[in-house]
Amino acid sequence: MKAPADRRLQLEQTWSDKPGLWGFLTTVDHKRIAARYIVTAMLLMFLAGMLALDMRWQLSVPENTRMTPQLFNESFSLHGSTMLFLVSVPLMEALGLWLVPLMLGQRNMAFPRLSAFSFWLYLGGVMTLWVAHALDITPDLGWFEYPPLSGPSYSPGHRADIWAQMITFTEVAALAASVNIAVTILKMRPPGMTLARMPVFLWAQLISSLMTILSMPAIMLVTSMLIADRMVSTHFFAPAGGGDVLLFQHLFWFFGHPEVYIIFIPATGFVSQIVETFSRRPLFGHSVVVLAIMAIGALAFGLWVHHMFAVGLPRLGNNFYTAASMAIALPAGLQIFCWIATMWSGRPWLATPMLWVIGFIATFVIGGLSGIMTASAALDLQLTDTYFIVAHFHYVLIGGAIFPLFGAFCYWYPKATGRLMSERWGRWAFVLIVGGFNLGFFPMHFLGLMGMPRRVYTYPPGMGWDLLNQVATAGSAISVLGGLVFVGNALWSFWRGEHAGSDPWRGSTLEWAGLSPTPPYNLAYTPAVTSLTPMWNGGDPLRAYDGIALERREVLITSVADAAPLYRQRSASASVWPFLSAIAVTAMFLGSIFTPWAVAIGSVPIAAALIGWFWPQRERTMTGLLRKRR
Amino acid sequence: MLIMTASVRGTERRTSIGANLAVACLIALACAGCSQEARNVGPTVPQTRPRDGADPRIALYQANVDQVAQGGRYFAWYGCQACHGESATGVRNLADGQWRHGGDFDQVFASIADRHGALRYAVRVPPEQLWQLTAYARDLPLHTPEKLHRQAVDQRAEPVGNSWSGPQ
Repeated sequence: MKAPADRRLQLEQTWSDKPGLWGFLTTVDHKRIAARYIVTAMLLMFLAGMLALDMRWQLSVPENTRMTPQLFNESFSLHGSTMLFLVSVPLMEALGLWLVPLMLGQRNMAFPRLSAFSFWLYLGGVMTLWVAHALDITPDLGWFEYPPLSGPSYSPGHRADIWAQMITFTEVAALAASVNIAVTILKMRPPGMTLARMPVFLWAQLISSLMTILSMPAIMLVTSMLIADRMVSTHFFAPAGGGDVLLFQHLFWFFGHPEVYIIFIPATGFVSQIVETFSRRPLFGHSVVVLAIMAIGALAFGLWVHHMFAVGLPRLGNNFYTAASMAIALPAGLQIFCWIATMWSGRPWLATPMLWVIGFIATFVIGGLSGIMTASAALDLQLTDTYFIVAHFHYVLIGGAIFPLFGAFCYWYPKATGRLMSERWGRWAFVLIVGGFNLGFFPMHFLGLMGMPRRVYTYPPGMGWDLLNQVATAGSAISVLGGLVFVGNALWSFWRGEHAGSDPWRGSTLEWAGLSPTPPYNLAYTPAVTSLTPMWNGGDPLRAYDGIALERREVLITSVADAAPLYRQRSASASVWPFLSAIAVTAMFLGSIFTPWAVAIGSVPIAAALIGWFWPQRERTMTGLLRKRR
Repeated sequence: MLIMTASVRGTERRTSIGANLAVACLIALACAGCSQEARNVGPTVPQTRPRDGADPRIALYQANVDQVAQGGRYFAWYGCQACHGESATGVRNLADGQWRHGGDFDQVFASIADRHGALRYAVRVPPEQLWQLTAYARDLPLHTPEKLHRQAVDQRAEPVGNSWSGPQ
């Protein structure tokens, strides 16, 4: 899609941010916001990885004294909370924020300012947890902080509050991002991209966004109840006062289980796109993959109790949740067979993104098999709280989400930066990370079967656990080394990498239609979609529409099912209000750790900031408060 | 040229003062954070009684939320709330801020250890636990009745004493 230079210049002028700090604070460009999300989350992944390495160091020999029990508690709590709430979920959303408009051939998200607000609040959550850590007020009760241990009597001080409030931050941020992504996908598809012609990535983002919208309120509710118990002495989780500690676990896992699929489902989207492009054929069984994602999304809400088999629920109830947990292996298996069939019947090209997909399939299948074992209530009673569980969830989360994410990173890196990552260093990183990961986590299955419990800071000699622990430590060190190679490769390629051109992989979807790195306006024209793989299209050129304004920010709105053009919509311009609103919300959230009055007093600046944000503008009003702001 | 250099120097000085201030603030914050919330799980040295109301060890207990909370646990386990529970009145009410034998740390410590007659807490309760109990008792007046009630509710639910629900 070549566009004349004056058209590009005009678009560039309309969609660029102001230079400097002001532009940085006010931007609503989905690409810049997503890049911030990704860089922040990658940095946190590094920090949490260092914590993991430190814990592995502590566990490498029996009765090690590198860590005190308290430091160990803090380390695994911080590691888990960071990886789940501040790395995995935000990274998946960030990829959505960055890629959804590109894959739709749109100029921006449906709610541009909401994207900015989402990032600033996420940053607030990051700072809440990690600045508190720097001040030695680290949450130390695991990533789920069950009461009564986290209640007012047993966790004095503010460690548990910091954790609970960090959740509030990240969940508001996640909800903002999810609403944005869902609306963008449903209402802003290019003409011709009916629901049936939507790439799997968009389906995955849509469904995981809907899952986020349905599940996150549970965790916000439950952490708010915990904060209320701790601060204003309510009795939600006080059994002798009529409360119930199991209520916390149910609500937590009603969110917590969908959460792992909120992390996994976008990864299936990455995998589908990568497999399609690198097998040089349309994805095998597109509808099957999409229906499998829907099935996973639905089933994910019906099996949270398998995290609670050991708390003593009625056996018939446990059976139900065992069956539901095993049922999810079906759609997951269908997807894997579709990807394998695509590769089998295509002409696979083993570039690094594809290597990551193969690493993902191998690792995730192992994690899925141990998942079927832990899904059985009878076996789970033996395995729960042992290293078997640690092995299982690292296989499914790292194997199932982080490996595809690395693949996605390599795949879309040239689109974001205009340069290719080094294939040679990419292969080294792949071998080190996947090899080190399997060396590090596979022995944990055996450690768990031998009875080594989770969350112990040390163990006595003579348990027979020494060798396997040392192997695990060596594996995680190799893995971290691989991570450094990966990041080093990304940084080096950013300045020195080979120029990529607009479509180095000859990809199948619309994000490859534009320039790399993507200009602020994305595509110069609105693409017209006639197939599932619009960039291939049987060799036909990509057709395009014109008619969206060039001199003001405007986007095309289409109908939900058929993507028929409906109307042109003004797209919000850059604004500092999302940033100011996020600061006001941050002040309220942080204040409410210390006093309930912060909720009442803190809502005043929030209201002021939101009024500024939503101040109406009337084109025809020349004077007064409603005149169009310059 | 000279003026320019001077102004540059001036900026430098200002920046360094600013940086120093920032560092000082951070250190102050860090110290304020670490002592109040420090949670030491390992064993500590055996304790003797507080020498007087200005014993330097007092802050380690009175100003640390975990030591105070641990005192609350012993408060329940030694059955203190049988007499000093929420409904206690008069001299037995510890939450009213009135101390018959003085409210200093050493005085409250002595009241617990020596003034309970045949219960002989000075002998039956290890010194460190007495420190924690004292810190807890002196902490009680600082909280709202709702908070004290919430704590009592949690303590009631613990399977200790009469509410023991485990193996007999």
